[in-house]
Amino acid sequence: MTQESPWEPELLGFLCRWCSYAGADLAGTSRRKYPANVRVIRVPCSGRVDPLFILKALRLGFDGVLVSGCHPGDCHYQTGNYYARRRLAITKKFLEYMGVESQRVQAGWVSASEGQKFAEVVTEVTKELKEIGPNRLFTDESQANGTETAP
Amino acid sequence: MEQKLRREAKALLKQGKVDCIIGFEAGSLKFTTTPLITGAQEATSRLVINPFSANNLSVFLTEVKGRVGVVVKGCDSRSLVSLMQDKKVARDDVVILGIPCSGIIDLSKVEELVGKDRDEIDDIARDGDRVVVTVNGNDRKFPIHEVLYDHCLGCEFPTPQEYDILLGEPTLPPGDKYQSASLAKIKQLKDMPAQRRWEFWRNEFERCLRCYACRNICPACFCERCFVEESEPQWLLPVPRWQENLMFQVIRNIHVAGRCTDCGECERACPVNIPLRSLTREMYGIVAELFHYKPGMDKDAPPLLAAYEATDTEDFVR
Repeated sequence: MTQESPWEPELLGFLCRWCSYAGADLAGTSRRKYPANVRVIRVPCSGRVDPLFILKALRLGFDGVLVSGCHPGDCHYQTGNYYARRRLAITKKFLEYMGVESQRVQAGWVSASEGQKFAEVVTEVTKELKEIGPNRLFTDESQANGTETAP
Repeated sequence: MEQKLRREAKALLKQGKVDCIIGFEAGSLKFTTTPLITGAQEATSRLVINPFSANNLSVFLTEVKGRVGVVVKGCDSRSLVSLMQDKKVARDDVVILGIPCSGIIDLSKVEELVGKDRDEIDDIARDGDRVVVTVNGNDRKFPIHEVLYDHCLGCEFPTPQEYDILLGEPTLPPGDKYQSASLAKIKQLKDMPAQRRWEFWRNEFERCLRCYACRNICPACFCERCFVEESEPQWLLPVPRWQENLMFQVIRNIHVAGRCTDCGECERACPVNIPLRSLTREMYGIVAELFHYKPGMDKDAPPLLAAYEATDTEDFVR
């Protein structure tokens, strides 16, 4: 990133292999427009997402994390997203209590046929992240820019 | 109560019903107790029960082999039940000696009230709803709620939930009257703007030594290999920098969510006085609010995060 270019948020998306990843694919193949701020990691199921992944992403300087999986009832493994939902609920609440802006941890249900919804979710989340600004949670004050990486 | 405990413990050993007893004995410092783990009948005469029996002894059950008789207070019994929910302890392997608890005294609160050090205080005795502190032969009385640990003030179940032998009459919780005192520190934090809260925790975790006393004393932290010691992938560094320390503690809290019974041991164990209970108690509250779940109440229930309801909250999901 050169110094002149305006700051753009970096969003890390954990997308479930069966629904949301295919939804993102559909968004692409149907030429939907959405911000290029999202970086995608494909996971077998939203239930695979350990809260540790979310913390680690914030620690590494990502401005936001999006966990997206199948709608309740549609999980390829029947129940993975239900477990994910509980874990995400407590993780999000607890991080808010610690002082993390609630917009930094996001969740969505996007099915394989919802390319349009995927584009909308990424657009909305990116917009919210732009409003709250860069993630400086784990930076030492001396370090001016918010992209410190773990040593 | 103490005599009954000694009698029962001795009998259990004598009859071969247990291989060892885990209880409290007088500590080497004044106004402390220390865990006593013994298989010797004569050692049971050293067992004590007093308002300084702070340790949550259920932490030893994942380490001690054989059939065990264990002394537990209300909160400890819930930790023990939680271990049964996680299949870390079998109900048949333990004989639970329950203490109906009336609160544990926080020595630092007493020291502050009388302005004296532990060694200058002659005696601290419980007298009903009061505590009598003797300094230089003079008695000073304080209401008990001024000297109990914060988590004891908010205690919901002082009498063990699961026991084989109850060592006294069931005790009543302190009641709603002291809830706000129990949660005062958390309330203070919640009233701050988010950024100030983060700065608060950042400052606190700058002191953290990563000694892992909080983890080691915690019965809910039973992983045989903790994620902080993983090297592939290395989730976080063992270096005690605040970023790593804070991340460690957040994850620890998520791991003990639905297992933590607000026994307050992590905060008591912390050598640099990080207010860890202000984290664990908040998680306890989140779990209660979102899932109406109280840890360690039903040994046959699945652990909180190994279960779900179709109707679980999802107002945060897009």
